[in-house]
Amino acid sequence: MTSHASTSTSPVRRGAPGWLGRTGYVGLGGAVLIALLFGFVFVKGGYLLTVMQLAMIYGVFCVGLNFFMGYTGQASFGQNAFAAIGGYGSAILCVEYGLPPVLALLVAMAIAGVAAVVVGWPTLRLRGHYLAMATFALGLITYDVSVQWESLTKGYMGYAGIPPLGIGPFEVEDERAKLVCLMVILVFGLWVSGRLRNSRFGRALRAISTSEPGAAALGIRIPYYKLAAFVIAALYASVAGSLFAHVVGFISPEVFGLQMVVVTFTMLYVGGIGTVLGPAIGAIVASLLPEIVRSTGRFQDIAYALLLLGLLVYAPKGLSALSGLGRPRAAEPKPGS
Amino acid sequence: MTSRHVLVLAAALAATFVVPAAAQDTIKIGSSLGLTGYGSITDGHWREGLELAIEAVNAKGGVLGKTLQLVHEDNKSIPQQAVVVYRKMMSEDKVVAFDSGCISAGNFAAASFVTRAKLPMMLCSILPQQAEEQKWAFSFLPPPKFEVDSRYEYLKSKTDIRKVGILGDPSPYGSLMRKFAIDDAKEFGIEVVANESYQQEDADFSVQMGRINAAGAGAVIMIGQGNAVITVAKNIKSLGLDKMLLLGSVNERDLLVEAGQVLGERYLFPSPIIQVAIDDLGLITDPKARAAAEAFITPLKAKHGGKVDTSMSSRAWDSLLMLTQAMQAAKTTEGTAVRDAVEKIGPYVGAGASYDFSPTQHVGITRNPYVIAYVKDGKLAIKHDGR
Repeated sequence: MTSHASTSTSPVRRGAPGWLGRTGYVGLGGAVLIALLFGFVFVKGGYLLTVMQLAMIYGVFCVGLNFFMGYTGQASFGQNAFAAIGGYGSAILCVEYGLPPVLALLVAMAIAGVAAVVVGWPTLRLRGHYLAMATFALGLITYDVSVQWESLTKGYMGYAGIPPLGIGPFEVEDERAKLVCLMVILVFGLWVSGRLRNSRFGRALRAISTSEPGAAALGIRIPYYKLAAFVIAALYASVAGSLFAHVVGFISPEVFGLQMVVVTFTMLYVGGIGTVLGPAIGAIVASLLPEIVRSTGRFQDIAYALLLLGLLVYAPKGLSALSGLGRPRAAEPKPGS
Repeated sequence: MTSRHVLVLAAALAATFVVPAAAQDTIKIGSSLGLTGYGSITDGHWREGLELAIEAVNAKGGVLGKTLQLVHEDNKSIPQQAVVVYRKMMSEDKVVAFDSGCISAGNFAAASFVTRAKLPMMLCSILPQQAEEQKWAFSFLPPPKFEVDSRYEYLKSKTDIRKVGILGDPSPYGSLMRKFAIDDAKEFGIEVVANESYQQEDADFSVQMGRINAAGAGAVIMIGQGNAVITVAKNIKSLGLDKMLLLGSVNERDLLVEAGQVLGERYLFPSPIIQVAIDDLGLITDPKARAAAEAFITPLKAKHGGKVDTSMSSRAWDSLLMLTQAMQAAKTTEGTAVRDAVEKIGPYVGAGASYDFSPTQHVGITRNPYVIAYVKDGKLAIKHDGR
């Protein structure tokens, strides 16, 4: 069985002509494109700053989800549960107990991590569709808890007045500063993801993704590694939830509902599941595409869906895999060779 | 895809965001509406009312010598999208005020930065929670207490039923109403013997109805809008609860009629008088209120025909007209001046209700606007007017 992680592109260049080679030029073009977009949004300001801020937050979520779904090849429809823990954790700790935002974010992360261990240990014994259904149930349960436990979460009324991110007397209130802050956090998340992917730990995850029996035969303790990937994904999701709370200043159950699952799955596949940069690229592209087609008015959703379909048809491995198209194909083995 | 293609794509994307700047001789009013998702029915009607009001104002020469323009965006009934569209209307469209729909969470999520920008918000929803945000928001939603009390008043004065069961959804408005339903019951000599919940997407309520019946309730106080009421009515009928009354929430006219056709006169609901009087304005006895209703219903019928719902759109119409009246009074569209002018309008008889905003009162409807209605021959009719 092939996996997302094992089929993803890697920066291996064989026989590329010229200084960078075609692969390098395409990759550079992509990087320039993102830098241009970011610069354009930063300079222009306005509501695209908000779109980009949300893209960064979703990016953090997707980078985490990629550990479990991309590198490890498992299915989880319930990571929104940990985003909810992060979001409500930050909101409650800041508003009710007066904790500084950064400390609240860290405490919420710890709570999400413990919850992931408690939930993941029995759940991750399941495989395939059963695991997907179990994690889906986790998301639904958390949603219902956030709606019904009004004394803690305020139900559908939501939590308002959540302070912005900041350290000590310094608060990040300017929209551009918020975007830079979020981008730094996302880049840090990507750096951690890249380092872990190519570590012994990451190779074990990718081995599990390729073949669980094969990985077990190599001595990899599969339950332990699956749980570790699940917990890492939960920590990222928790950070994303906390960031949403501090950036927007308000959260309610709908923020962490089923729509979050759908959106983040879309981002993951559009960007390239199993790749390091794919989740971030997917988050940015999938966030900006609806704005590109906003002028279509009531047909916005249809136009957006068509664009997504086009992307998935012409870039089935995700946008981050496009850089691999310039790579010369390996020679076909000759019969009898 | 080659590097050339990538660069071409980059240029195309960048060009898409470049919006030509043009001097506008219009006053733009923004509206964040849940045109898709769970709020689509109510917010669709809210948009109808706003569009009618804009046309009426422009037909009379606009505001401050300028044409009024409605800029509305779909928030898809989710807060994160509401944040985006509010920001878009502020930064790109340069709206001077908002007149937004009923998605409370969306309005709450945007309230902090709309407040910082000092823009007034006329809302279909309840007010945001923060005191500072409430100073800039004006709610055109009747307080939940009125909807509950009109039903209890009917039970007390017209029936022998003294035990009720509550069946409610957990929306912000529904949650508030449930608290009043529990707290106010004693005031009317009524006992709440069952307190059940449902989700909008639930497909069957037999279990909840069975519990309410087993608890000895003679009537169900249903709290929540949407088509769930039809399923509840069918459940009551199929369970053979022949004496159980269903007192539903304010709802869309088509849904009221459909539920009424299932339970007949056992389905009762609070209704603003304009919803019942769409075919007979004579039902509105106050001449001032009748004139306000006629000014709204005439263009509404001309545009959408006679079978439209008026409970939401009439209040949207009122909200927009009050906003423009405030702009005229303030002689400017500047946010603080308009906000202050809305507070000074005083008692205002509108098409959907009467309003009375002040610096300390930002929930405009202060008198119960509801009659108890039922469905008779496929039309809405007044059962009891306890106002």
